Amino acid sequence: MKHLTSIAAGALLGLTALAGPALAQGSNTSLTIVREVDSDRYDPHRSTARAASEVIFMMADTLVSLDHDMSTIKPGLATSWTMSPDGKTYTFKLRNDVSFCDGKKLTAQDVVYSMKRWIDPATRSPVRWRAGKVDDIVAVDDTTVEYKLTAPFSELLYQLTQSFAVIMDKANVEALGADFGVKGFNGTGPYCWGDWKPRNEFRLKKHAAYKWGPPIYENKGAAQIEEIVWKIVPEENTRLAAVMTGQSQVTQYVPYSGLSQIRANKNLKLVDSKEAFWTYFVGFKIDKEGVNDPAVRKAMVMAVDQKAIADNLYFGEVEPAYSYISSEALDWNKAVMPIKTNVEEANKILDAAGWVKGADGFRAKDGKKLSPVAYGFTGSTWQKLMEAIQGDLRKIGVDLRVQLFDATIAWGKMATQEFDMFGMSFPYISAGDALNLYFPSANAPTPNRMNWKDAETDALLTKGMTALNDADRAAAYGEVLKKVHEAAVWLPLYHEPMKIAASARLAPFKAHNIYGCGLYKGLDLKFVR
Amino acid sequence: MLNHIAQRLAMSVPVLLGVLLFGFLLLQLVPADPAAIVAGPMASPELVEQVRKDLGLDRPIFVQFGIYLSRVLQGDLGVSLISNTSVIAELGEAIGPTAELMFACLVWAVPLGIALGTIAAVYRGRLLDRIVIAISVAGVSTPVFFIGLILMQYVGYHWGLLPFIGRGGPLWSAEGLAAIALPALTLGLVFIGPIARMTRTAALEVLSTDHVRTARAKGLSERAVVMRHVLRNALIPVVTLIGLQAGYLLGGAVVTETIYSWPGVGRLAVGAILASDFPLAQGAILVLALAFLIINLIVDMLYAVLDPRVDKHG
Repeated sequence: MKHLTSIAAGALLGLTALAGPALAQGSNTSLTIVREVDSDRYDPHRSTARAASEVIFMMADTLVSLDHDMSTIKPGLATSWTMSPDGKTYTFKLRNDVSFCDGKKLTAQDVVYSMKRWIDPATRSPVRWRAGKVDDIVAVDDTTVEYKLTAPFSELLYQLTQSFAVIMDKANVEALGADFGVKGFNGTGPYCWGDWKPRNEFRLKKHAAYKWGPPIYENKGAAQIEEIVWKIVPEENTRLAAVMTGQSQVTQYVPYSGLSQIRANKNLKLVDSKEAFWTYFVGFKIDKEGVNDPAVRKAMVMAVDQKAIADNLYFGEVEPAYSYISSEALDWNKAVMPIKTNVEEANKILDAAGWVKGADGFRAKDGKKLSPVAYGFTGSTWQKLMEAIQGDLRKIGVDLRVQLFDATIAWGKMATQEFDMFGMSFPYISAGDALNLYFPSANAPTPNRMNWKDAETDALLTKGMTALNDADRAAAYGEVLKKVHEAAVWLPLYHEPMKIAASARLAPFKAHNIYGCGLYKGLDLKFVR
Repeated sequence: MLNHIAQRLAMSVPVLLGVLLFGFLLLQLVPADPAAIVAGPMASPELVEQVRKDLGLDRPIFVQFGIYLSRVLQGDLGVSLISNTSVIAELGEAIGPTAELMFACLVWAVPLGIALGTIAAVYRGRLLDRIVIAISVAGVSTPVFFIGLILMQYVGYHWGLLPFIGRGGPLWSAEGLAAIALPALTLGLVFIGPIARMTRTAALEVLSTDHVRTARAKGLSERAVVMRHVLRNALIPVVTLIGLQAGYLLGGAVVTETIYSWPGVGRLAVGAILASDFPLAQGAILVLALAFLIINLIVDMLYAVLDPRVDKHG
């Protein structure tokens, strides 16, 4: 027995000794980032998941970049750009010192190829519309690209900051074919493709020649960490424990319940940003019986207690939403008067509109019970949210019936006309980005699942999209925001914050919010101890 | 011996067919639409229907199963709906880590289980025996996920002794060894209980036999008696149990791999089922069933080696 005990103790000590250096100090050359899910591939035009964008931003660059304020366009691969007076032609001057990870020099032809692949119907990119109505894209010379549109597109520069618009190496894309973004990716980013083990980890290696990072970073040279490991850890508490023990040095995927522990841990810090643009909402299908009454919609919005949801479901870590987009977002209209929680007033509105409470406590009008059907996604997020909403709506006599579907079915179900309300969340960079996706008449029944068909809205959206200056664009989008808020087309729930848990061993860095990717290009990431 | 193996192999065929049918039918019950997954979230209903037709998902279930079966027989497990890569390639990546985990578990749990069982038998009725029985009962009755979470909470998190976020590298590297320690410890703790109990029972039986009494009468030391005459004879039922339990370990590995983010077949199966990736889920289920059958086949062969009567009488 003594032998056994000695052997066991020896083995544990040995293993601990092996693990010791990694656990106690960690490596100063390798950074491990834990996250929940992996992407199916890393093809910028075919991968729309945030999980793909997080890595693509590090492996590749865009013509222009977005500042931390989420509204200022800064240089990227292009040092400068001009817009023609009619707003239809953008001319980009490229840096002439950019090279791909394999050492090949970047030319304007690579830019043309990347952009044309994005809009090519054969690519089947679900985000092709973000490129605008393209007439042609041409390389004037090796460092000049002309981006020609058939109509002005005021959002173009913002869209060109997204991961869908990164510049790729034509030869690499063609050589890899269907394996592009699966077996390799030759980008110009601060990190290069190392080794991808799907659903396990993605290793990125430092791009030593890199010196063309966006000017938003203090670091103007190559990345300051040799290797970044994006590791998949599906369990949220395991991710929390991993960052608390130093096995991971950065993550934005910690449960809200664990943020207080991170704040209290002297070995960790919480890096956050107020310009976080990811909003959760419930939309109304405004032509369905019951919710086609604006009074009903307004009363329902008024009945839901967003603050209680934020406090009770999310430990006060999210921002209650009373507006459809964050008030920090570009082109937010300060004149919009969001609907605040007021159950008493909501009841009065329904009484005045002729919706009478029955013996069961639920309202009806002309023999029709106010009992809308809401569709949502399975999983704890929407289940908890819908239960909270259901409870709040009972207070005003609305019998909400909730049906949740697996994500593979939910998208199809939400393309139908079967439901009265639906739950959704979305990232955006500006008012125009959000409004042009959800509110054009032509986008019904999906993504305009509300069936919001309004000629004035369409005209304003077109005006905003084709505006030639910031003021006109903001005015047009501001009008749309006011119009849809007054019509109570959505029930906003909360704005998801950007909170990154990071090791105190890392130098101070700023959180970004582009497409929900908190680390963006990761150029300021470096260990100080 | 060859006849015995052939007989066992023949018996595996209907079992595998049953597994294929069960896995296929089970996934039909999942409330998800593979056509919608392939078509993508922005696809129109018409496109989804077109994809359904292209994939043959609009055909009767028995026809779909027939096509699936014929493909499997040709070694084609299909393509993952999510990653669009070959299921065999995906499984190939995941089998190694699962095999590593099984090995790392068995390599310490089997000797320790046998040792504890033997000690309990030798010290029957005394404190050591009771401690071993208590450990065995605790091991048998504690769910693997609970052991995993407790170890992660204390060994990994509070005491910061070992890592717990997936594979750290090859098993022969320092990082690899450290990373596999906690998952292997978790699985092993479930495993040693039954082995210790079976070893104790078998050893007690052998200890009371005539040849052990004779060995003692010859003046052999107690240590020699136990090692040479007791353990060897007591191992036959233990080996059978190890085989059976190793099969069940695969189930435990699914849970362990999920808790520790271990990139094996178990986690692949869970991920595939959650993502409604039907071909990958079916492939993973098939691999786990195959592993179970192979382990049992090896045990049968070992049993025949240890006990020649099996070979003689089938």
